[in-house]
This record gives sequence, C-alpha cells and structure tokens, in this order.
Amino acid sequence: MNSLRVFVSSAVFSFRAQFDWLNPSMWLTMKFVLSFSQMAFFVFVGLFSGGGADVVSFIAIGNALQALSWNTVFSVIQITGHDKWDGTLPLVLATPASRLPLFVGRAMIHVLDGLVSVAISFFFAAFVFGVNFAQANALALAVTVLLTAFTMAGFGLLIGGFSFHFRNPIVFANIFTFILLIFCGVNFPVEALPPLAQPVSYAFPLTYGINAARQAIKGASLLEISPVLVEQLAVGIVSIILGYVLFEAFERTARKTGKMEAL
Amino acid sequence: MLHWMADPQWVIPSIIAPFVFTTVALTLFKGSSAPFGLYAVLGGGMMGMWGNTIYSSGFAIEFEKWQGTLEEVIAAPSKLIHVITGRSISNALFGLTNMVAVFIVGTLVFNISLGIANPILFTISLLLTLLSVSALGLIFASAFVLSRSAQTLTNGLETPLYIISGSMFPIALLPFWIHPAAYILGPTWGIDAIRLTTSQDYASQTFWQGMGTNTALFLDLTVMILITLAYAVIATALFKMVEKRARTKGTLVEA
Repeated sequence: MNSLRVFVSSAVFSFRAQFDWLNPSMWLTMKFVLSFSQMAFFVFVGLFSGGGADVVSFIAIGNALQALSWNTVFSVIQITGHDKWDGTLPLVLATPASRLPLFVGRAMIHVLDGLVSVAISFFFAAFVFGVNFAQANALALAVTVLLTAFTMAGFGLLIGGFSFHFRNPIVFANIFTFILLIFCGVNFPVEALPPLAQPVSYAFPLTYGINAARQAIKGASLLEISPVLVEQLAVGIVSIILGYVLFEAFERTARKTGKMEAL
Repeated sequence: MLHWMADPQWVIPSIIAPFVFTTVALTLFKGSSAPFGLYAVLGGGMMGMWGNTIYSSGFAIEFEKWQGTLEEVIAAPSKLIHVITGRSISNALFGLTNMVAVFIVGTLVFNISLGIANPILFTISLLLTLLSVSALGLIFASAFVLSRSAQTLTNGLETPLYIISGSMFPIALLPFWIHPAAYILGPTWGIDAIRLTTSQDYASQTFWQGMGTNTALFLDLTVMILITLAYAVIATALFKMVEKRARTKGTLVEA
C-alpha cells in the first residue's frame, strides 16, 4: 500500500512540477502548436517529394504517434534534469521510500499527458490532413496508443536512468526524442533506412506502436496486431528494468563519492 | 559565443532538430525528381540559423532570469538590444554548422553533388539572410523579456517558421492564406536568393520567374533588406518599450 502511495504521489508531483516553469494555458497551446507544426512540416515535405494521399496518411499517422514522445521521452528524461537543476536530487535520494515505485511513478503521469497529445494529433490528421479513420478498429487503436505511451515512458526511464550519470540530461532528452523521427518509421518505412541501421529501429517501442497503429487504422483487429504489441511490451519492460538498474547504479555511485548534481 | 563555448548544452538542441528534420527530408526525397540537394541542404542551413537564433533569443533571457543576472544586464550602461543583437548574430552564425553537417551527410550517405554557381553572391546572400534571421529573432527576444515562458515559446516558434518560409519545399504547396505570412518573413526571400546563387536551374522556380537570374536575385535581396530594416526598427522600439515597462513596474524577474 505504501508503495502505491509513493507511486501515485511521485506521478502527481512530477506532473505538477513542470508548472513551476510552464503555465497551464501555455502547456495546452504548445500541445496544439507542436503537434500540428511537426506533422504539417513533414506532410509538406512528403508532398514535395511527389507523394500522394497515401504518403500524407503515412506521415500524419506516424507523427501523431510520435507526438507522445514529447511527454513520455523528453519530459521523463527531463525529470532527471530538473532534479539536478532545482537541487531536489539529494531529497529524492535521501527519502526512505521504495525506489521502484518512486522511479516508475514519476514517469507514469506523462503517459496520460502523452495520450492527450496523440488525441490532438489524430484530430489534426483526420480533419486537416484527411486521414481516413472510417475503417479503424477503435479497440485495437486505443490499446495500441495506450501501450505505446506506456512503453515509451519505459524508454524515457531508460534514458533518464542513463542521464543521471551526466550533467546535462537535456541534451539526451533532445537527441532521443528527435532520432525517433529517423528510426521508428514515423515518416518513411524502416526499410528505407540503410540495412545496418534497421536493427536499431526495433530497440524503440515506438517502431512497433506506429506499425500496429497503421494496421489498426486500416481495420486490423486486436488479435491480428497482438504479436506486434507483445514485442512492444517486451521492449518496454526491458527498458524500465534497465533504466531502474542505471538509476540504482547512480545512487550507489552518488552515495559512495558524495557527488550528485556534479555528475 | 563565449557563453556557448562555456556551456554548449543550450545550443546543441537547436542543432539536433534541424539536422534530424533535414535527414528525414533527404530520405523522403530519395528517388524523387525534386531538386532535393537545393532544398534539403540549403534549407537545413536556414533551419539551423533560425533554430539557433530563436533558441538563443529565448534562452538568453530565460537563462539570465534563472541565474539572477538579468537585472545586472539591464542596469549596465549598454543597451539591452545591443547585448541581445550580438548574441543573436553569433548564434545564427553557429547555426550554419548545420548546413555543413547536412552537406557532409548528404554527400556521403545520399550521394548529393551540390556545387555553388556563384560563390561570392552565395556568401553575400547567406550573410544577409543571417542578419535577417537575427533581426527577426530580436523581435521575439523583446517579448521574451516580459514572458516567463520564453523557453516554451521558443519550442513553439521553431517549426512554424520552417514551414512558412518554405525552407524545405516551395511555399506554393502551402494554402494560399499562409502566403502573406511567408512574404513578410525575411528568410523566405533569403532562401530564394541562396538557391538562386547555388543553381542556375532554380531560375525557373524562383518567386521572380521570367525575370532572369540577376534581376531575381537583386529583387530577392532588396526585399529582404527592406524587411530586415523594418525588423530592426520594430525590435528597437519594442526593446525600448519592454525595458521601460520592466523598470516602471519592477516586474523584470517576476514576468
């Protein structure tokens, strides 16, 4: 029960903490602006490259799913950065609270935030860029989006755990949010990447999520896309475990050397 | 620039985004008949300039607020606009590294061969565009003094300018009601001039089709210079207004 309390309070405070520097109306405005502008940019590049409605649809769906990375990857990695910047890291490490719910809980509210981003992006995809959702299997799509948000938060925790060992997590937050645009089949199929780079794509849960979402929008059932979702879940869970191991390693080093923000 | 050298983390993100956007564009253009070298590589450079300028404008103010040094900067005998102008130009200059990085990737990975038809006019066009981007950044920087959300606004302003200025595709693709917004942006004319000085073939795609390369270039640069001057006048007036308001109300850091 105590672990659950730590989990919930970590989640809530992690979300509220960002309003220290961001007011709620700006938060909502940026959700619309960022989702729309990124999608629009790549749609126009796709059109200029000679693509038709199928390319527009491919790009719009990819970017709609990728929109949740700003919350589940960038914001989750930035939890580490804010702890270091705001001087709250010693308090986090000094608390007797169980580490796993503390570590995972802080990322989980961003899953909900990411779901809002995807909903807004799907709205733009449908009503501005004409993506056809008429055949979509709503249940399969909903499960895919939820699982993608959850597993990408796991990926965010992995990089966040890694970032504890460096002074500037914001650099990693940017790198690992943006490279998803190249590796995850957001704007072009993974097969368009050089053969050596393609295996890297499958280290990101987003690759599976986008693939499953495209199938669900074409009408595939939950059962039909379940093999992809199982793979995605496995990658997400491994990410959380690795992230937690990195976090614990950082804590041990910090206690041993007395360095926290300095790392 | 020295600030960047001391702590490069604030500049790196603005390089990463344009670089990734350009790499994605190069991949999408692969196999198409579009002149992707012209658009992706040169557009990538323009995006780097803008990304770095808007980021530095936003962070230059926010960072001073965080560090508690904005009061000293304002209190110094130097005018705030001069301080921010220096930062803006040096960061736009640094943003050009994105063009070099994209050119290397384009050459090695995507086999792009991009020659420069007129190196002197290319350099002049590039420098004037850099000044125009910096001047536009100044207008936003003045607003950032009054806002607690400069960092967030920075993120929100980056991609819309990539789109409206047609950095990576012709603005003819955009809905017609966006065109007026494109025409009042200096970088829109700057990127047209840069493309003209890079390739003779681009003369058929410029805003000034049928006027000849030199005339088109002259018109592009003239329009851009006039817009840049207008930006400078607006930015100077805004900085005066913002500084006066901050001093009168005493809300410099709280804002």
